[in-house]
Amino acid sequence: MTRLRSSTARLALLYLAGGVIGVGALLWTVFLLTERAMDRQADLVIETEVESLREDYRGGGLQRLVDVLDQRVDDWGRLGAVYILLDPQGAPLAGNLSSWPRQLVPQGAWQAFQLTAVERGREVMHPVRAAVVELDGNRLLVGTDLSDRRRFMARLRTTTLWGIFSTGALMALIGWWFSWRIAGRVRGVAQACASIISGDLARRLPVDGGHDEFDQLAVAVNHMLDRIEQQTQSVRITFDSAAHDLRAPMYRIRSRLEAALLALPADDPALATMQATIIDLERVQRTLAMLLQIAQAESGSGGAHSEPVDLAQMARELAELYAPEARQRGLLMQVNAQQATMVSGQQQLLAQLCTNLLENAIKYVPPGGHVELHVRNEGGRVVLSVSDDGPGIPAAQRQEILLPFRRLERDSASPGSGLGLSLVAAVVRLHHGTLSLEDAADDGSGLRVTCSFPPGG
Amino acid sequence: MQILLVEDDVEAAGHVVAGLREAGYSVQHCADGREGLAAAREARPDLLIVDRMLPHLDGLAMVQALREDGLATPVLVLSALGTVDDRVEGLRAGGDDYLVKPFALAELLARVEALLRRASGDVRHVGLLRVADLEMNVLARRVTRAGRDIPLTAKEFQLLEFLMRRAGQVVTRTMLLESVWNLHFDPQTNLIDVHISRLRQALDKGYDVQLLHTIRGSGYVLREPPAA
Repeated sequence: MTRLRSSTARLALLYLAGGVIGVGALLWTVFLLTERAMDRQADLVIETEVESLREDYRGGGLQRLVDVLDQRVDDWGRLGAVYILLDPQGAPLAGNLSSWPRQLVPQGAWQAFQLTAVERGREVMHPVRAAVVELDGNRLLVGTDLSDRRRFMARLRTTTLWGIFSTGALMALIGWWFSWRIAGRVRGVAQACASIISGDLARRLPVDGGHDEFDQLAVAVNHMLDRIEQQTQSVRITFDSAAHDLRAPMYRIRSRLEAALLALPADDPALATMQATIIDLERVQRTLAMLLQIAQAESGSGGAHSEPVDLAQMARELAELYAPEARQRGLLMQVNAQQATMVSGQQQLLAQLCTNLLENAIKYVPPGGHVELHVRNEGGRVVLSVSDDGPGIPAAQRQEILLPFRRLERDSASPGSGLGLSLVAAVVRLHHGTLSLEDAADDGSGLRVTCSFPPGG
Repeated sequence: MQILLVEDDVEAAGHVVAGLREAGYSVQHCADGREGLAAAREARPDLLIVDRMLPHLDGLAMVQALREDGLATPVLVLSALGTVDDRVEGLRAGGDDYLVKPFALAELLARVEALLRRASGDVRHVGLLRVADLEMNVLARRVTRAGRDIPLTAKEFQLLEFLMRRAGQVVTRTMLLESVWNLHFDPQTNLIDVHISRLRQALDKGYDVQLLHTIRGSGYVLREPPAA
């Protein structure tokens, strides 16, 4: 989930970077082109003016040029135009500059310099661009004040930068919102899935009603879950009815046998046969009860009656119950369950889990062997394990043995239904726990069955 | 003692009725829930034996209806399911005991007797229990026979207490598993026999008169020797 969330954020970040670079390049190009166009325009104005003055000089000589310049001098300040005409000796003849600008490099047609003017009692620098022409030894400078243009360009630059920045901010905001929204929906789906996996089979994926891809996916998955639930339900109903239908004749068989038993004299040879039949009937009944219990636990419907259960106390009592039987079979049984270990669950099913593990150990461990029942709090979980030094279960068959009716080849001769570990697995699943089978000793011998539950109660 | 059996399986019911009558009870049988409810309201039996799945009116609904009437008659629920949930539901609906079909007639008889005795207040709630020369002080957790101390483990004590409170009454293995070990399912081995024989060793070994008896096919009984 974290991966996915970061992936939407990464995507948004990528879009943000792309967007900012794109918009930035565009606006900056516009800015540069505008700047160049404005410079070009200033140069054009100067060139036109120079040309017109050159015409005047050609037509009427130096005197005419001086007259024209003197005529225009009033307008010049207003228009931001700068003129000065020097004679070959360097004395000013006309213009609105008092002297030839000092910073000016003598060579070159195009010049740039700063004019210092006093405006409202303050010295203000005016950037000027100017052209210098030689007219038979006289030098004419025609320039224009760039202050307004520079101010405009400065404003344009600020606007451009703000434009880039706000586009970026907006895209970041949209990206964040988008990825937050997607992450939220994915989280909703993940949560729903987790609660379905942990047994809440009626739960469905959230549907927004926005008919987007997420909704389409959720609707499809929900349909699938409905189908699965229907099937589970029908399997369960089939199981229940089968159990009921099987039990009715079994009930009658048993009633008849018992009624017949009562009528028989105590030394009748049929007595033993009938008693053996009753014992077999009880075995069938036990198998049926286990199957039903597995089906009910697997369908997840058994969680309705949860209560706090102290697994350690339960383990101690069950170990005491089984101790004489273990002793009779020459086994040494040890219990290690001192701490109170609370889980939330069904006491009877947990007890059945524990008895199944103990019965298995007692059944399969040869005389002289050891069985250890250990219940503890470990890493925030409640862990119950049964270890023995018996024949163990080959690693390759440990998964399969958890399925109903699967038994090891070597045990096929001994009585047993092959349901014990299936029930253990179903009960562990019902209680949101994990189950593992492993070698009890480092040399690969024995068996340790470990059930780990979330704490509760 | 009047017992009402509500069970739709007529043949099996016939055997149960015969068994109960043999044991000295007077039995009425109804084959569906509605009929059973009417009969229970009218005849006021001492005990009800009700199947969970009944035509017309579910067995649990029937028990609930009776409880709402204020009838405290003990109810033994019979069920063909026998899962943990099923059991819990049966007891929550107002059942006093629960038996999974098929069951041994002896088991049914033992439970019927236990329920009737409990209803009539015949279970001894006193702190000092006595069966012949066997004495138990429940508070002091002390057991003596003929004045001699009998050391017992906590579970053995609990087991003996259960038997002494029901002295003279047959107690089955499943009743002991349920009451003493709180296990409501059938373990695959005859665990109880071993525990009973250990208890018997402690109680009866070295005494002429045996108090703890095994009843073949049923269970156990702790009883005083017949006065002779």
